[in-house]
Amino acid sequence: MEGGMGRLLSSHSFFHNHTEREGSVMVQSRRQRNLFLAFCLVPTFILFSVFTLYPLFNGLYYSFFEWSGASSLAEFVGFDNYRRLFSDEIIPRTILHDYFLVVTKVVGIMILSTFFAVALTQLKIKEAPFYRIVFFFPNIMSVVVIGILWMFIYNPSLGLVNSGLELIGLESWTKPWLGSEDWALPSLVLPSVWAGIGLFMLMLMGGISNISKSYYEAAEIDGATEWQQFWKVTLPLIWPQIKISILYIIITTLNGSFIIVQVMTKGGPNNSTHVMGSYLYEQAFVKYNFGYGATIGVMILILSLVTVLIMQFFMRREKVEY
Amino acid sequence: MLSLWRKTSAWLIVAVLFGFLLLVGCAPGAGTEETDSEGSEEESSSENSGEESGEVSGELEIQYFVGGYGDSWWKEVIGDFQEEYPDVTITEHAGPNINEEMRSRWVSDDPPDVVYIDGAGSSETQMVEDGQLMDLTDWMEGVELEDGTALSESFIVDPADYDGSVYSLPLVFDTWGTWYDNAWFEEKGWEVPKDFPGFMDTMGQIKDEEGIAPFVTTGQYPYYFLRGVLYPAFGAAGGDELLTDVIKGNEGAWTSDPVLDVMKKVEQMQAEGMIDDGFGALNHTQSQMNFLLHDNAFIPVGFWLPNEMANDTPDDFEYGFVPSPMQDEGEPYAIVPDLRPLAIAEKAENKEAAKAFVEFVFTKEYAKSFSEHTGAIMNLQGVDLSSSEEVPSFLIEANEMINDPEQVQIHQKPHPMSSELETPISNSLVSLMLGNITAEEFVEEAEKAAAEYRSSLE
Repeated sequence: MEGGMGRLLSSHSFFHNHTEREGSVMVQSRRQRNLFLAFCLVPTFILFSVFTLYPLFNGLYYSFFEWSGASSLAEFVGFDNYRRLFSDEIIPRTILHDYFLVVTKVVGIMILSTFFAVALTQLKIKEAPFYRIVFFFPNIMSVVVIGILWMFIYNPSLGLVNSGLELIGLESWTKPWLGSEDWALPSLVLPSVWAGIGLFMLMLMGGISNISKSYYEAAEIDGATEWQQFWKVTLPLIWPQIKISILYIIITTLNGSFIIVQVMTKGGPNNSTHVMGSYLYEQAFVKYNFGYGATIGVMILILSLVTVLIMQFFMRREKVEY
Repeated sequence: MLSLWRKTSAWLIVAVLFGFLLLVGCAPGAGTEETDSEGSEEESSSENSGEESGEVSGELEIQYFVGGYGDSWWKEVIGDFQEEYPDVTITEHAGPNINEEMRSRWVSDDPPDVVYIDGAGSSETQMVEDGQLMDLTDWMEGVELEDGTALSESFIVDPADYDGSVYSLPLVFDTWGTWYDNAWFEEKGWEVPKDFPGFMDTMGQIKDEEGIAPFVTTGQYPYYFLRGVLYPAFGAAGGDELLTDVIKGNEGAWTSDPVLDVMKKVEQMQAEGMIDDGFGALNHTQSQMNFLLHDNAFIPVGFWLPNEMANDTPDDFEYGFVPSPMQDEGEPYAIVPDLRPLAIAEKAENKEAAKAFVEFVFTKEYAKSFSEHTGAIMNLQGVDLSSSEEVPSFLIEANEMINDPEQVQIHQKPHPMSSELETPISNSLVSLMLGNITAEEFVEEAEKAAAEYRSSLE
């Protein structure tokens, strides 16, 4: 890497020597520099346009049409789909479900991953590498596999949860978890949190290992307890990592909670687990309202953007340096 | 030297980028093309000539869904058709996800010629609404079976009627009903229910003796219960007329007394603990596994159940089929056939070959072989199944039962319910079956969904 940079620089200075002698080469060099920049940027821009901008604007475009998504017939209907969005009784529920997952996931994942990260770095546990692998393991599993796995765990008759409750004498607590209108959504939180801990734990561990030991030594000399050390030293210094983790959880939940819902409950029973994404899927591909589905997609985009902006505003904090 | 290196490397970069762009350019195209379609681009020219001269040649593309019935029958028919018409190049688009895979072809107005409409992601109603299917009304009149009888006279159930026009020919006669394990019932001496009171009695007995919730269905696909239990119940309660009103979502249909009576029965099943309270999260396979494991005793599914679960069925398990017993005491059973049609695309490029294929399929010989291959019935009258040893016994019994009007009344629905109406009704249905709403609340919600559906059609 460094060698490459050096070569680039030296070739640059070599160039300048030339330009001093011949003015015409100077022009060529700028052209070549621009060409080089174009080689780097143009493909990226093309890929970005094809795979991000085009679908984005295409989705926006189709949100003004009534289109089944299964034929070439599409009728321009103006803002009809948006009007429908505001009168659809299921939409507020899906938004609520999404933010329920956002809040529970942020709280659950951040508390647990911070705890594990601190435990594995500060407490000098001998088996730390082993735990690191164990906690990271769910992250290399496909969400679909996780969903199916947890469906078995929640299975009302054969599942681990109900059998476990019966084993410890709590029969009255057993429930058809995913089959209950009240419990299905909370039941989705556990697998989502479980699947998320590992990645953020690693991120926070990276942050913690960058904190110089001398701060802790100084704090100890000043008589700070471990708890105080955590609040006054660790937390402020890994705040950038925490902030990025929270934003990342919010974005992935708003855009991606669809997968776990689709795999585990398909939005049921009676819409009690529908999130915006799964409702979009149902409208576009089950009920053949592709145009309306695209409208829901626009709503998800706007809500995600607004949420991220608000969160950035609330989480802005002076960078701490000691 | 250095400048030379720079020049060559610059060209290298260009070459690599160019190659990469080529790859990118190809990717979407490669994704939409079927692996088994060969040269679908060239077909248009060759077929147009075939169409003009009325000859059967060129390329014929057939799309068929492969689900519980398997594909062995299709392979046989298509093989025979190929022998009969050697000039036709047949391309098959088949599989369990074929409806999704072929969607881009339909969207781009380049559909296959013949389509068998079945399975997830397909909707005959939607295809007709989108004008994707060819009007077969006049052509059908001229088609005859091998013994000279007109095809239009030979159906068990007539083609779906869209304001007087026929866009599809019902190929597979499917019907939903309630399944039980005959061997288990005989061993325990349980009675196969003949009407709703009998149904409740038997379920009560099973519940007491086995300590299980006797009835299960899939909550992830609530239309299994809707089509398998409620349609026959509506048919028994109000005949074809009520069934039509309910499926079309006509005003007042869902809040009418016969519908409310039926929903009260469902409410009663729930209240007395007959419905497995875990059904809400089960998909169809899980619910069927529970049924096979004797976690439950009754399940509403279509004729394809034994074929679909063949690999998981215990040896001592004996499939028994009864039309869903939701009718009042003393009334005959009711069934509502569910038809899986064959249709020709409006934008088919080889309509002559498509017509020839559809005509070729509708014979009594293939009807018999269909039952042998799939354990289900093809939608043709007068096919003698009892003479074949390969037809499963439940099917012969069911076939006899269906043909005996004393025992079973066949009710016909005008066309499948639009998913626009089926989805919200299914959602409320799950709520009712979980005991979270009452029958009265359900019919109000269903009526509201019907009103929204009607307004969406305007």
